[in-house]
Formats: sequence, structure tokens, C-alpha cells
Amino acid sequence: MRNKRTLLFTGLVFGLALVFGITTSAMAENIRIGVASPYSGGAAGYGDNIKAGVNLKLKEINDAGGINGKKVELVWGDDVCEPKEAGMVGAKFAADKSIVAVIGHLCSSATLAAMPIYVRAGLAAISPTSTNVTIGDVGKGWFFRNCYTDDYQGQFLASNVVPKLLGKNKVAIFYENNDYAIGLKDSFMAGAKSGGVTVTGAEAYMKGTTDFTPQLTKLLVDKPEAIFLCGYYAEGALIAGQARKLGFNGPLFGADGIDNEDYIKIGGKAANNTYLTVPFLADAAGPAGQDFAKRFKATYGRDVDWMSANAYDCLGILAQVIAKTGPDRKKIRDGLAAINSEANGYKGITGLTYFDKKGNCAKPAFVKMVKDGKFVSAE
Amino acid sequence: MFLQQLVNGLTIGGIYAMIAVGYTMIYGVVQLINFAHGEIYMLGAFFAVTFISVLGIPFYAAFPLAMVCCAVCGVLLDIFAYRPLRQSPRLAALITAIGMSIFLQNLAMIIWGSRPKPFPQEALPAYFEKTAASFGGVNLSWFHLFIFGLTIVMMVGLNLIIKKTRWGRAMRAVAQNKTMAALTGINVNRVISYTFALAGALGGAAGIMVGAFYNSLYPTMGYVAGVKAFAAAVLGGIGSVPGAMLGGVVLGVAEALGAGYLSSLYRDGISYAVMIIVIILIPAGLFGRVLKETKKSM
Repeated sequence: MRNKRTLLFTGLVFGLALVFGITTSAMAENIRIGVASPYSGGAAGYGDNIKAGVNLKLKEINDAGGINGKKVELVWGDDVCEPKEAGMVGAKFAADKSIVAVIGHLCSSATLAAMPIYVRAGLAAISPTSTNVTIGDVGKGWFFRNCYTDDYQGQFLASNVVPKLLGKNKVAIFYENNDYAIGLKDSFMAGAKSGGVTVTGAEAYMKGTTDFTPQLTKLLVDKPEAIFLCGYYAEGALIAGQARKLGFNGPLFGADGIDNEDYIKIGGKAANNTYLTVPFLADAAGPAGQDFAKRFKATYGRDVDWMSANAYDCLGILAQVIAKTGPDRKKIRDGLAAINSEANGYKGITGLTYFDKKGNCAKPAFVKMVKDGKFVSAE
Repeated sequence: MFLQQLVNGLTIGGIYAMIAVGYTMIYGVVQLINFAHGEIYMLGAFFAVTFISVLGIPFYAAFPLAMVCCAVCGVLLDIFAYRPLRQSPRLAALITAIGMSIFLQNLAMIIWGSRPKPFPQEALPAYFEKTAASFGGVNLSWFHLFIFGLTIVMMVGLNLIIKKTRWGRAMRAVAQNKTMAALTGINVNRVISYTFALAGALGGAAGIMVGAFYNSLYPTMGYVAGVKAFAAAVLGGIGSVPGAMLGGVVLGVAEALGAGYLSSLYRDGISYAVMIIVIILIPAGLFGRVLKETKKSM
């Protein structure tokens, strides 16, 4: 008995030593960065975009010899776009000391859930896509984002896109019951007054719903001229189809959540006459952006989307910071926070990025639309 | 608006009813809540789309073919997952059912990918989109009528099978008392397989209709539909086939009217609230039999 136990103990010690040995040697070799997005579930299409964008940048960095001679390695964390899963991914990243920074999360509600964990662990996160306004407060200086916020986007829609581009002033809002969509809805409502736009009704739906006809029926009673698809593309495409079936032929409009090729694939003909605001539009981008769009198309065989572009720049920003500070969690945060004015901003394909005290940055919005089954610039 | 909401509610309610019937039949014969039933429903939609877009089979042929595949899936599910546990405590089978549900979801994710897919609309008969009837501002498309018609035909057919045929009689016998049924010469395992096949075919049909009508299918679509249908089955009195049918329709209409007149934010909550209220007032459900607790069933 005693012999067996000693043997077991020695085995355990050896095993542990082996495991630790492997992790420490891996730590010495690579700079590890966590990338948190939904890679499965209904929002998996977005995760694909993020993966595509960061992988292009990753290849660029590593082909050029890495950062100060060290290769960059990405660690994927699947948060399914859900707060509770995001918490688990966050805890995993926080506990893994070899991870020096996080790109993510994608969905605002996921970022909101994970941010307190990163703050406690002292790990900086830079989100390519989370536009909810309140994250800047929750992030306590550890959060940065490479995209505009919902208050900007919603107000831009209400004061510019709807009255000027569409020429409509009676709008029904159909929003998903989550942090992103509610924030967007509230900022739209705030901007609607000044834009002279009347909101005829606002109804909510839950993620994963397939039957939207009861809410649509209710919204259409007030005869809106346009419907605001305040949510993500998977549901947005179904809402478009069902709204058309119920006899609504006016324009639909949405924000960056609708921007995905699947919106057209699922929506089919119903998707036509949809307008959306996006942070990146290849047609309107500078030469670096055009070049990126070309490379993206060549690598993945599809058109570039704004999420891939923003994710590409996120890794670019981190790489630039890490090259200066070295792979240290606290120093990376300070390095990101130091990008605080136009003069020292990061020049990426999505324009100039520099952060304010809450980690927000000012980015322009572009408008595109679906015409004959294709996304085209609306301006 | 009321009429339109009623149409909306009846459409989804009929579909809930078709799934709920599967829950209730299986519970009737083996006293098992088959939580993987929602996944059979999901598979139905995916089978149909695969037949249409990969093999180029027309819609009318793909529909029954996918139903047959779902029936086979139901039987296989029983043979591999539940039959080995027939003599084990019920809890073991219940956990297995949940496990199978997760397994099938992820299997579908591997095979078809996790992105939501559209239903090939060009494969649907052109007249589906056309208006069949119009009254009080409500447009009823042929697709609505197709769903209503098919739901009614299947429900009536199911009732006839259960009431009039030898298989139906055997099913009812097994539901009443397995041991006695076996003693009278009924092959109990075969009757159970037959029940799973029937439930699978109906669930598959519901999946195809939802996929085609709402134009979206994804591997996790069975979860919400399964939970709703389970609620419908409980509402109607689990084990009772007419109860499940009525339960599904009541739930669908409650949901649509609730979303239309109360708050759309609590749409799912409203349908579950209706279920809870009914269960509190009539614990056995609308059509449930009140059984005295016996030692044996403990």
C-alpha cells in the first residue's frame, strides 16, 4: 500500500513538473493574445469575421518576424454572444497568465459581463465591435474599443439617415432584448426628437425567436413609413421577410449588427431596400483599406465586412503597443492608454484611432444599402 | 389586428401541437420526457433542405422523405439511447435524453455548420406566396392554409391510428400496463419503436414547416420549440394526445395575443404563465387523468 502511494505521489510530481515545464517554455516562445467572440451558436457568423480579420494581421506580423523576435499566438475563446459564457471565457483568460491582452468581446452584453473579471485580473481588453455606451464605465480604464458607440450610431441614424437619406419621419422600432439593442434604441429615440422623426411604436423580441409576426402585426397597425431593425442580422433577416409577408413594403434600416452577407442570404428578396450604418466601407476607405479589402477577398473569397476590418486594426494596435512595452499586462494597458491624442493615434485601415479616458474612440459612420441582393454604398 | 394575431397564433400553435403530440405519446408509452424530441424537429428541417438543395428533390417529395428519416432517427434514438435503460430508474433515462439532445445539436452543428441557413424559397411551390383569402384586413396565404390543412390532416390521422388500428390498440395497451400487454402477446419493444417513429415523423414535419414558413434553420432551433411544446404537452395533460393538440394551439394563441396586447418583451413569459396557471388550477392538465399515487409508481 505504502509503496503504491509513494509511486503515485512521485508520478504526480513528475506529471505536474512536466505540465508546468511545457507551459513555461511556451510562454517564453510566444506572445499569447486572447480573442473572445462567438464561434458557435446564432452569432457564429460574426466570430468568423473576427477570426478572418485577426488572422490576416497575425500572418502579416509573424511573416515579418513577430514582435521583437517573438511570434504572436492567438487563443480563441468562444462566448456564444452570451453573458454567462463570456464570464467563463473571461475567467479562463484571466487565469492563464501567459495571455497578455484580450481582443474582444464581440457582443456588448458579453463584454459587459467579462469586463469586471478583466479589471480584477489587470488584463486589458480591446473590443473591435462592442458599441454599448456603458462599457467604458465598467471597464475602469482597462477597456478600449476600436469602434464608435451606440449613442453616436443611434443619433446618426435618427438625425441623418432617416430624415435626410430616406426622407421618412414615421418609424417603428423592433429591438432585441439585450444591452446592444436597448442602448441603440434609446440613443435613436433621443436623436429622433431633434431630427423631427416620430417613433410610432417600439416592440421587443428575444434572441433565437423565429416567429416575429405578433410583434410586427402590432407595429404595423400604426402605419410606420420605415422599420428600424434594432438587433443582429440573423433575426433581422427573418423580420424583413415576415414584414414583407405582412404587406410592409417601405424601407428597413439598421445599424452595424445587420451588416453580414447572411442578412441577404437569409432575407432573400425581402432584404432589398435595407439601409445600415457601418464603421468601415471598402468603397469609402483610403488606399490601405482598399488594399486590405482586396487581400481579404483573395484569402477568404468573400467581401470584407467592418468587423473583420476593425479586428484587423485591433491586433495592429496591440502589436504596436507590445513592441514598445513588451508582453506585460499592466504595461500594455498603460501603452494603450497613452494613445490619447490625434498626434500619437494609430493609423489603421479604419482610420485614425486614439482613445479617451473611457477607452472610446471617435470613428465616422458610413451608410450602405441592399440593392438587388447586394450591399452597395448608399451615398 | 385581433384576427391577424389569431392567424399568427394558430399557425405557430398548430406547429407546437405537432411537436407536443410527440412528447405526450412517448411519455404515454415509456413514461419518459424525451428531451431530444426538439432535436428531431430540427433534423427534419435540415433533412428537407439537404434533400432539396443537395439532391435536387422537389419539395413535395422531400417533405415525406424527411419525415421518414426523422421517424428512423426517432427509432434509432430509442434503440441506442433509451432501450438499454428500460429497467433503470427513470432519472437515468431522463438524463440520457438531455444528453442526446446536446449530442444531436452539436452533431448538426458539425454537419451543417452553426450559421443560420435560409430555406431554399425557390423550391417552394409558387402559389404558397399568393393570397388565398382576405378578410378584415387579414391576408391569408396558401402557405398558411397548407400548414393548417396539414396539421389538421395529421392530427386526425394520428387519432385514427390510435383509436382504430391494431397498432394503436397495442400502443394504448402498453401505455396502460406494460407487463399485462406483454402477457397478452404484444411485442412491447416493437410498439415502443413504432411510437418513436410516429412521434419522430410528426416532429420532423413540424420542423420542415417552421423552416420553410419562417425561412430559417439552425442547429439550436429545437431547443426553444422543444421547451414550448413540452409546456404545451404539460398544459394539455401529459400522456393525453388530444390534450397535447389543444395545449399547443392554446399556447400559440396565448403567445400571439399576449405579445400583441400586453408586452412583447414578455411574450415567452406569457405562454409559460398560462401553463403555470392551468397547472395550478388543474394539476393533471386540461385532459390529464388524475391518478392516485401507488407504491409501484414510486
